[in-house]
Amino acid sequence: MKPVAHSLALAGWAGRYLWSGWAGAAGLFCFAAAWQAGHEFYGSFVLPSPLETLDAVAALMREPQFAEAAKATALRSLAGFALATGIGTTAGAIAGYSFAAMRLMRPIVTVILGVPPIAWIVLALIWFGSTGGSAVLTVVVAALPISFAGGLEGVATRDRALDAMARSFGAGMWTRFRTVTAPHLVSYLFPAWTTTAGTAWKVTVMAELLSNSGGIGGDLATARALFDIPRVMALIVVVVAFALFTEYALLHPLRDQLERWRSAGLPWGVKR
Amino acid sequence: MKLRLEGIGHAFLGRTVFEGLDLSLDPGEVVALIGPSGCGKTTVLQIAAGLIDPLRGRVRRAYQRHAVVFQEARLLPWMTARDNIAYGLRVAGARKKPRLGIAERRAREVGLHPNDLDKFPIELSGGMRQRAAVARALAIDPDVVFFDEPFTAVDVGLKRILQDLVIEAAAREHFSALFVTHDLSEAVRVAHRLVVLSGHQQGIVADRVIAGQPGQRSDRDIFEIVEAWSRDPAFTELFDGGRDT
Ligand SMILES: Nc1ncnc2c1ncn2[C@@H]1O[C@H](COP(=O)(O)OP(=O)(O)O)[C@@H](O)[C@H]1O
Ligand SMILES: [Mg+2]
Repeated sequence: MKPVAHSLALAGWAGRYLWSGWAGAAGLFCFAAAWQAGHEFYGSFVLPSPLETLDAVAALMREPQFAEAAKATALRSLAGFALATGIGTTAGAIAGYSFAAMRLMRPIVTVILGVPPIAWIVLALIWFGSTGGSAVLTVVVAALPISFAGGLEGVATRDRALDAMARSFGAGMWTRFRTVTAPHLVSYLFPAWTTTAGTAWKVTVMAELLSNSGGIGGDLATARALFDIPRVMALIVVVVAFALFTEYALLHPLRDQLERWRSAGLPWGVKR
Repeated sequence: MKLRLEGIGHAFLGRTVFEGLDLSLDPGEVVALIGPSGCGKTTVLQIAAGLIDPLRGRVRRAYQRHAVVFQEARLLPWMTARDNIAYGLRVAGARKKPRLGIAERRAREVGLHPNDLDKFPIELSGGMRQRAAVARALAIDPDVVFFDEPFTAVDVGLKRILQDLVIEAAAREHFSALFVTHDLSEAVRVAHRLVVLSGHQQGIVADRVIAGQPGQRSDRDIFEIVEAWSRDPAFTELFDGGRDT
């Protein structure tokens, strides 16, 4: 009986989630309409129409080299995402627990934040040359501070009363982290992680373009050099699609599942 | 003797809360600790439960397990009522199936409906949350239970029901309990013995056995004991202007 109830609840959630997509689609179509208007005003050479762009996207999808490039970009941004969130969250959590660690790490993060991203790309180019490494490094330094701040805030604002409750049952450090601090931390980390996921795609493409290290960014550089404007637009659309896919198909469903307890208290109809 | 506090003294940031405090709990005994707000009752309880270390004195424990029922329910918002009640068992390393079984039995004992067990704390009323907190404490079969003004926030009718739950559980399972409250009639209702903590750092100013057994005193008995004691100098601090919640 329980698994049935559970899968019903899951189906209900999936239905609501997909349904909420309509609102998003409506917004996107408004955007497409504005785009079309811009196209009609400036002409194809400056701004190809949404349809032309879709054609270019379809052509892109048929190229085998494009799949390679997209895969390279995806792997680089994934690596950057994993490293940035991993290192950032861990360091932030440690800083949240230890005042001394926080005093030590805050300035480091401030310095990292102070260096303009373009300077990081120059440094990464010097260190890694035209390899994926420069894109990964750029993503890590660009995205690490957000995860750090999320981890720090999350741990610093943990509920000490709940922690005392867990200690009264003799719970050790690790159990308390898992059952009391971590679920609370997740709600601070998700905004950081969604931002990081978006940043990861954008920064990877930028670094690829500047370091000439292939991937979608490399394609973009080539298309720009050839003045193939529809292709430029198509590549941009693809990157945006990837970023949206990561956020809405991967991260948000994960958050909704982890934070069911939060929406449980909302009355029907307010769920999203 | 289950628990003994010997010469306990504590201070926060150099400000003394109490000094030279002695207190003991016999097997199966419920001791009510009463005193004006801010006199250090919660501090005594936290020291007894090992949640904070006293600056002076020592705590001797002759038991295996204890549980604390706090003033607020302190349920984990991301766990269902069932998992919350089973939390202490989970910490103790009990397997999932048996611990959820125990949680369901304890939930029944405290009057929670099986349908409520799948709900998250946010979906429960204040009274239901406090019931779940009591069930969570009882689930580990404690030898000693610490109650810190557990029913202050619930309404009067429910308060009686919850007090009765505690009285019954203590009689049935023979745990010892330290029951902190600032309400004299609640103390007289649930406890075997009453200890009054001074509001002026003078430690324990009265230690009285309450006539009769918890659960067998009539409302009239309770009223008369409270009346008699409220004229007693040892209790004046509880009632003079400083009394608040
Ligand atoms: N963590 C703390 N830090 C500083 N002072 C505290 C702390 N906890 C309690 N106190 C102070 O200690 C005194 C006793 O507090 P408490 O034990 O909570 O009193 P009660 O439970 O009797 O109302 C109060 O004056 C309170 O302000
Ligand atoms: Mg208190």
